[in-house]
Amino acid sequence: MDGVLGNLMLGFSVALQPSILAYAFAGCVIGTLVGMLPGLGPLAGISLLLPATFGLNPIIAIVLLAGVYYGAMYGGSTTSILMRIPGEAASVMTCIDGYAMTQRGRAGPALAIAAIGSFVAGTLSVVALMFLAPTLASFALRFGPPEYTALLLMGFLVLSYMSGGSMLKTLAMAAAGLLFGMIGIDAMSGYTRFSYGFIELADGIGIVPVAVGLFGLSEILLTAGQTTPPAIQRPTLRQLIPSLEEMKLSIGPISRGSLLGFMIGIIPGSAHIISSFVSYGIERRMSKHPERFGNGAIEGVAGPESANNAAATGAFVPMLALGIPTGPVTAVMLAAIMVHGISPGPMLITQQPELFWGFVASMYVGNVVLLILNLPLVGLFVNLLRIPYSYLYPAILCFCILGVYSVSNSVMDVWIMLGMGAFGYLLRKTGFEPAPIALGLILSPMLELSVRQSLAMSGGSYGIFFDRPIAIAMFAVAGVLILLALKPLVFKKKDWREQVGLEKRA
Amino acid sequence: MSGTGTPETAATPRGVRSDRAAGIVIVLVALLVGWENRAYPIGHLAEPGPGYMPLLIAGALGVFGLLIALRAGTSPLFNTIDWSESRRGIVLLIACGVAVFALERIGYRLTMIALLVFVLGVVERKRPLPALLVAFGFAFVSYYLFATVLNVQLPRGPWGL
Repeated sequence: MDGVLGNLMLGFSVALQPSILAYAFAGCVIGTLVGMLPGLGPLAGISLLLPATFGLNPIIAIVLLAGVYYGAMYGGSTTSILMRIPGEAASVMTCIDGYAMTQRGRAGPALAIAAIGSFVAGTLSVVALMFLAPTLASFALRFGPPEYTALLLMGFLVLSYMSGGSMLKTLAMAAAGLLFGMIGIDAMSGYTRFSYGFIELADGIGIVPVAVGLFGLSEILLTAGQTTPPAIQRPTLRQLIPSLEEMKLSIGPISRGSLLGFMIGIIPGSAHIISSFVSYGIERRMSKHPERFGNGAIEGVAGPESANNAAATGAFVPMLALGIPTGPVTAVMLAAIMVHGISPGPMLITQQPELFWGFVASMYVGNVVLLILNLPLVGLFVNLLRIPYSYLYPAILCFCILGVYSVSNSVMDVWIMLGMGAFGYLLRKTGFEPAPIALGLILSPMLELSVRQSLAMSGGSYGIFFDRPIAIAMFAVAGVLILLALKPLVFKKKDWREQVGLEKRA
Repeated sequence: MSGTGTPETAATPRGVRSDRAAGIVIVLVALLVGWENRAYPIGHLAEPGPGYMPLLIAGALGVFGLLIALRAGTSPLFNTIDWSESRRGIVLLIACGVAVFALERIGYRLTMIALLVFVLGVVERKRPLPALLVAFGFAFVSYYLFATVLNVQLPRGPWGL
C-alpha cells in the first residue's frame, strides 16, 4: 500500500507539471468535441491526433491521447441527451432515457447525472487500475509463448461472445484482421508476404489507416447527405442540479455501472459499447418500475454512462500491464508509446515508472477537468453542433486524409484508408462489425510469433498448449464460452445479449 | 402477411440473403488467400514457415464463412438493404482518390482546396462564396496548425503552396 502511495505521489509530481496539465486539458477538450461530433468517434479522433504526438515526449503523448479517449466518452453523452444523436457508439443507450428526460424538461439533471456518474466511475476505475495493473504485470512475467497464444485466442473468443452481433461474424472479421496483419515481412523468416511488389507494404499495414478508414470514413459514407440536426436545448447552470430523488435513484446504477464497466473493460472487444448495453439491461431488470425505462428513467442514464467511462479506464489495464491492446483505441495508443522506443509489456511499470504513474495520476486530473468542462461549459460546446453537417463532414474527410498521410508521409496509407472506408461501409450495411478487424490486425504479429515459437519449443507438438497450467486455465475459459454460445442454440433460450436488448445473433 | 389476405407464397420475398452472399464472399476470399499462399513455405510443425499461419487463418476464415452462409436464414434479403446513400459515397470516394493522387504533386493546400470546393460546391451544392471561404480557410488553417505549429511534414506544391 505504501509502495502504491509513494508511486502515486511520483505520478502526481509528473502529472501536475504545467505542460502535462495543459496537454491533459487540451486532450479533454478535443475529446469532448470529438465525442460530440457524429462521424468522429474516440478512435478516429485519437488516430488523427497521433502524428501530432510524435514530436512530444511519451508521457505527454499518452496523457494527451488518453484525455481524448475519456473526453470522447463524456462528450458523447451530451449530444445523446440533448439531441438524441449518439456522438459515439457507447452513448446509444444514453439516448433512450436521456432524450426522454430532455423532452420532459429534465435535460439539466440528465447531463449532471451523466457527468457525475462518469466522474465517479472514472475515478474508481483509476483506483482499481492502480492496484490491478502492477499485480497483473508481475504475474505476466511467468507468461511464455504458449500462455500468450492461449491468452490471445481466449481474447478473440471473449470478444466474439461479448460482441453485440453474431459470434461467427465477429470471428470471421477477427480472422480477416489477422490476415491483414500478415501482410509484409515475416519477422521469423524475412519473407515478404502478400505485398504484390508494393515496397510500402513490406512494413505491413498500419493500424491508423485501417482504423480511420473502417470507423471514420465509413461513417462519413453512411451519413453524408443527412438532414440538419434538430434544434438544441441549452440548460443553464441552475437547471443542471438534480433533485434529491434523482440523486438517490442514481447511486446504485453508478456503483454497479462502475464495477461492471471496469470488469468488461479489461477483456478484449468494444468494451465501452458493450458495458453500456449490459448496464442498461441490468438496471432495467433490477428496477421495481421497469416500465419507466424508455420514458426518462434517470437510472437509464446513470448506469450506462458510468459503465462506459469505467470500461474506458479498464481497457488500460491489459494495455499497460501486458502490452496487449483490448481494442483499436488502446492499439493506437500503444503505437503512440512504441514510436518513442518504449516497449509496452510487463516490464513497463518497473522500467518506466514515471510514464505509468504519471499516466495514472493524469487520469485523476483528467476526470476533474472533464467534470468542470461538462457541467458549466455544456452550453458552449453544443454550439459546435449548430454547424450544418454538410459543412462538417467534408472537413472531417480532409482531416482523415491529413491524419493518415502524416503518420508516415505515405500516400499508400491513404489509399489503404480509402479501401478500408469502402470495406467498412459494406460491412456495416451487411451487419458485420468492423472492430474485430482492427483488433486482429494489431494482435496478428503477436499471435503468429507465439504460435510458431510454441511449436518450435515443443518440437511440433500442440500438446504444449495443454501442459502448462496458465494456458490450460485460459483454454478452459475459452471452452466455457463456446459452450455458453452453443447453449441457446441447443435449448432454444434467449442468450444474454437478447435479454439486455442487444442485437439477436444470426 | 396472412392478415392482408395475400397468399403466403405470393408475398414471400425472393432473393439472396445478405449473410449468404457475405458468407460466400468470405469463403472465396479464404480460397484466394490459400491459393496465393502457395508462394510461401509452410515448413513443418517443429519449424513452421512463413506460409503456415496464413494458411491456418485462411482455413478458419473459410470455415466461418461457410457457417455464416449456412446459417443465413434470418438475415435480411440482399436486395432489401437500403443503398440510397451509396451513390454519394462513391462520388466522395472517387473525389478522395483524385485528391490522394494529387496530394504529392500539387501539394497539401491546393489539394484540400480543390477537394473541398468539389464536395461543397458540386456534391452539397453550396453557394460558391461560402464554399470557397471554407475551402481556403480549412486548407490554410490546418496547414498552419499541423505543419507550422505541430511540425508535421506536409507536401508542398508549386509556388511553395
